[in-house]
Amino acid sequence: MIAPDRNLFLSRRHFLGATALGSLLSPQLIAKAQHAAKAKHVIVLFMSGGPSHVDLFDYKPDLEQWDGQPIPDSVAKGVHFAQISRQSGRPKLKASPYRFRQHGQAGTWVSELLPHTADVVDEIAVVKSLHSHVFNHDPAVTLLNTGHERVGRPTMGAWMSYGLGAENEDLPAFVVLTSGVKLQPLLDSYWSSGFLPTQHQGVEFRPSGDPVLHLRSPKGVSRERRRRDLDMLRWMNERHHAHTGDPEILTRIKQYELAFRMQASVPELTDLGQESDETLRLYGARPGERSFANNCLMARRLVERGTRFVQLYDMGWDSHGSLIKDHPRQCRGIDRAAAGLIKDLKRRGLLDETLIIWGGEFGRTPVVEGAGRLWGRDHHPHGFTMWMAGGGIKGGTTYGETDAFGFHAAKDKVAVPDLHATALHCLGIDHEDLTYRFQGRDFRLTDVAGRVIPELVV
Amino acid sequence: MRTVLFFLLTTSLAVAETHWAFVPPAEVAVPTAPEWSQTPVDALLLKAPQGQVPPRQLMRRLSLDLRGLPVSLMEQEAFLQDHHPEAISRLADRFLASPQYGQRMAQDWLDLARYADTTGHAADQPRTMWLFRDWVIEALNADMPYDQFTIEQLAGDRLPNPTEGQRIATGFHRNSMQALGNNPRKEEFRVRGVVDRVDVTGQVWLGLSLACAECHDHKHDPISQKEYFQLYAIFNQTPHYGEKFEVRGPRLTVLRNGKEVEAQVMDNLETPRPTHVHIRGNFEALSEPVSPRLPALFGSEEMNRLSFARWLVSEEQPLTARVAVNRAWQQFFGRGLVVTANDFGTYGEEPTHPELLDWLALRFSREGWSMKRLHRDLVSSAVYLRSTVRFRLSAEALRDQALAVGGLLVDTLGGPSVFPRQPEGVGEFRDATAGKWTVSEGGDQYRRSLYTFWQRMAPHPAMTTFDAPSREWCSVTRSRTNTPMQALAMLNDPAMVEAQAAFAKRLDSLPETDRVRRAFRMALGREPSSAERERWRSIPSAELAETLATVLFNLDEFLTRE
Repeated sequence: MIAPDRNLFLSRRHFLGATALGSLLSPQLIAKAQHAAKAKHVIVLFMSGGPSHVDLFDYKPDLEQWDGQPIPDSVAKGVHFAQISRQSGRPKLKASPYRFRQHGQAGTWVSELLPHTADVVDEIAVVKSLHSHVFNHDPAVTLLNTGHERVGRPTMGAWMSYGLGAENEDLPAFVVLTSGVKLQPLLDSYWSSGFLPTQHQGVEFRPSGDPVLHLRSPKGVSRERRRRDLDMLRWMNERHHAHTGDPEILTRIKQYELAFRMQASVPELTDLGQESDETLRLYGARPGERSFANNCLMARRLVERGTRFVQLYDMGWDSHGSLIKDHPRQCRGIDRAAAGLIKDLKRRGLLDETLIIWGGEFGRTPVVEGAGRLWGRDHHPHGFTMWMAGGGIKGGTTYGETDAFGFHAAKDKVAVPDLHATALHCLGIDHEDLTYRFQGRDFRLTDVAGRVIPELVV
Repeated sequence: MRTVLFFLLTTSLAVAETHWAFVPPAEVAVPTAPEWSQTPVDALLLKAPQGQVPPRQLMRRLSLDLRGLPVSLMEQEAFLQDHHPEAISRLADRFLASPQYGQRMAQDWLDLARYADTTGHAADQPRTMWLFRDWVIEALNADMPYDQFTIEQLAGDRLPNPTEGQRIATGFHRNSMQALGNNPRKEEFRVRGVVDRVDVTGQVWLGLSLACAECHDHKHDPISQKEYFQLYAIFNQTPHYGEKFEVRGPRLTVLRNGKEVEAQVMDNLETPRPTHVHIRGNFEALSEPVSPRLPALFGSEEMNRLSFARWLVSEEQPLTARVAVNRAWQQFFGRGLVVTANDFGTYGEEPTHPELLDWLALRFSREGWSMKRLHRDLVSSAVYLRSTVRFRLSAEALRDQALAVGGLLVDTLGGPSVFPRQPEGVGEFRDATAGKWTVSEGGDQYRRSLYTFWQRMAPHPAMTTFDAPSREWCSVTRSRTNTPMQALAMLNDPAMVEAQAAFAKRLDSLPETDRVRRAFRMALGREPSSAERERWRSIPSAELAETLATVLFNLDEFLTRE
C-alpha cells in the first residue's frame, strides 16, 4: 500500500503550505510505474457533444431493414431521451446514410466519414460497448473525466499529474487545448483537480492571446530587465529563507524561475512554424489558426517535451438538428489530424510511450430526432464507441458489441471505470493503488469499481 | 444472523459513544500559568512559544488576520508612538472594532456558505445573493452571537414574526447550486439541492461528512442511511418546482437605496412533503417513509428546521462549539487543533490539544457565543504573539493588499457585486444564457475582492490562481499552492501591474533618499536592513521606484502572512 504514506506526506507538506511542482512523487509509485509502464503520456481526443457511433464505427446492417420503423418496446421501453419526445409514439429507427467498409489487416469497420482513421485501424483498439446512464452533456463529460457524474472529483489528468508528476519542469504536467464550434459549454471543472491539491489542475492553453494566462511581460519590460528584477527578488527571498528557514520560500524561488523559463518555452512550444510543410500537411495544420489539427500537432510537441496529460476538446458534435450537415463537418475537422497524430508519433518512436484515447461523453441514438431533411440523433449513453491507441494498447482490435440496433451495449460491456482502469494499467499504475484521502476516506479514479480489460492491452 | 447484526449495531454505537468528539466537552482545569504564558490558552498549550516577534511584524500579522488588509503608514506611526504596555492588545481591539473585520471574516464564512452570484451548472445564470453576503458582514461586525447567527441562517424564516434581516439570513441555504431552464430532470436537481443543504449543515456545524450516508449506511461514522434521510426530511420542505415558486424557489422583495431587490430566502411548504429513503441514493427508487428527526447518536428526537437549528447550538450538543473554535484556530494559526477541520468523525484526526479545544469550546458556548471575544482570546495569547508560523495570503487578501499598497483600494461596504477587469476569454465556453462580464466603471474596479462577482463556473482568474474555491460546494479549508501560474499573475496580470505602477508613482513623489525605506514600510510594514539598503543602492535611480514596486510586490514575504 502506497497511499497512506503518500497522503501523510502530502498533508504534512500541504499544511506547511508547500506543494512544489513535481516534488511530491511517491518513490514507490514511480518505481512500480517504471516496472510495468508502457505509456508515459496520455492524449485524450474528446469529441465534445457526442459523436454518433452508428454513423462512424458501429456498423448495424439491421438498421437498414428497420429504417423508419418504431423501435421495439423490448429494446427501448422506459428509456429516457434528452430531447426526443414519446408523445407521438415510439421513436423511429434510422439507418446510417454513410457506407461502412472493413479496413486494415484486422478488418475493422469504419464509415466513409473517417477515411484517414480507417488508414490507421491496425494501430487502434475500437471499443464498441461503452455504456452509462448519464444523458446530459455536463454530467456525462464529468463522468468520463472523473469516473463520477457529479462535479467535485479529480479529473484523469489531475490524477496523472498527482501520481506521476511532471517530466519536464519547464512546462505544466496537464494541458488542455480547445477547438471547434461551440454548441455547449466547456467548463473549468472538466480539468479540475477536485480535492487534489490545485497544482494538479489542468492548464488551459487559451485559443487566443497568450496561450498561458499572463505569460507576457508588461509592455516595455525587456527580458534583461525582468532578469534583473528576478535576480534582486531571488537575493531578497534567499535572505528571507536564511532568516526564517521556511522551505516554502525555496519553492517560491523555483516557481518564479519556472515562470521565467515558461515565458521562453511556451512560445517556442506553440510556434508551429517550426514544423516542416510535410508534417503540417500530415495533420492538416496551419500555423496561426485555431483548429483541432493545430491542437493535435501541439499535443505531439507537448508529449515530446514531457507533458504528462494533454486533453483536446473538439466542440460541435451535438447533432440534434442536422446530422448530415454537422457530422461530415466535424469528421473533416478531426479525421486527418487524429490519424496524422498516430502516424507522426509512430515515426518518431513516441507512439509506444503515448496512450491516445478518442471519444465523446456519449454516442447518438439509433432512433431519429426530427424529420425530413433536418434530422438528427439525440444523446445516447446506453451503448457507444471509443477507441484507444498507442502505449500498451493492442492495435487492430475490436472489443465489445451493442445489440442489433446499436442501442444497448450487449456483449463485453465496458463501464467508464473499466476504461480508466485500463488506461492506468497502460501507464503502469494499478488503479487500486492510486488513492487520495479526502473527508475521511480513500478515493481513487475508479472509486469502488474498475476492471482492466485484458483483450485491449499488450 | 440477527444476533450478529445486533452485535454490529451496538458496537458501532458503542464506538460512537466513546469517540471523543461525540462526548460533550468536559470541564477543564487550567494548569498554573508558566511565566511565559499570557492567557489560559498558553497554559493549556503546554509549550513555550518560539521567539520574539518584532512589533512591526506583529502589527502586520494582526492587521492581515483581523482585517485582511496591510497597515497604512499612518497607522504604523501611531502604533510605534504608543508606548502603553497594552499597545498591542489596544491595536487588536481597534482592528476587531473596524468595519474591515466583518469583511475579512465574512470571506471564510462565505466559503462555508458556498456563496456565489451565479446558479452554477452549465447555465450558470446570475442571481441576486449579495443581500445575504451583506447580512453576514453586518452580523460579524455587530458580533452577533454564534447561536443566533446559526439559528437565523438555518431557520430565520421560522422565528415568530421574522424580521427582514432574519429572512435574508436564510439565504445561507439558498446558495445551493440550481439548475435552470428547460431541464428534463427538475426533481433530480431539487433533490440535489436538499442533499447539498444536509451535507453543508453537517460540515459547517457538526464537522461531519454526512454525504456518504446518502447511498448507504455510513462506513465509519454511526449514521445509517435511514438516519441520513431523517435529517434530509428536515430540509425537504422548501417549495420548489411545480408549485407557485416554480424553478427559482421562494424570494423576498426588499428595498435597497430606493430600488427593489429580490433576495432568495427559505420558506416551508404548507403541506409537508413526505420523505422516503432513496434506495442507493437514487431519488426515483423510494423505500420506507421517514420523519424528520435526529440520528440515534444524538437522541432520535423529532425535529423541524427551527428546533434543529436550536439543537445545534444547545448545551448538550457536543460538536458545534468545538467545530467553530477549531475553524477559528485554523484562521489564526494556519491549521486547526483538529487538522481535519471538516471531519470530527471517527476517521478524522484527533485534536493535538484536546483540553485546549474543550476549554475554548466551553468558554465560547457558555459565555455568550461571542466570535469577537473568541478571536481576541486567540490573538492575545503568547502563542499567537510569539509564533513564527507563516502561510501564504488568500487570493482576496493578496489582491486587496496590492490595491491598498498601490493606494487604489476603494474600501466601501456592501452593495451589489462588482466586475473588475479580467482577461478576455474567461468563461466563454459556458452556455449562451450565462451572464456576461461587463467591467465595472470607476471606483468599483478597486473594491475589496469579496465584492467581486462570483461566477461559479468561471470564477475570476485572480481568485482561482490563488486557490479560492469555485463555491459550487462548501469549502472548509483552502489549499495553499505555490505555482508558476501565480508567479506569472503577480508579475504580469494587468491589475497587478497597475497596482505596482501606482505604488511606483507614490514612491516617485518622495525624496530620493527616502524611497527605499518608505517602500519597505508601505509594502512590508518593516524597515530595510542595512544589507538591503546597501544592495538597493546599486539600482539606478531612474529605475528605482519601478524596480522596488515589482520586486517588493513579488517577494515571498509580501505574499505571506508571517
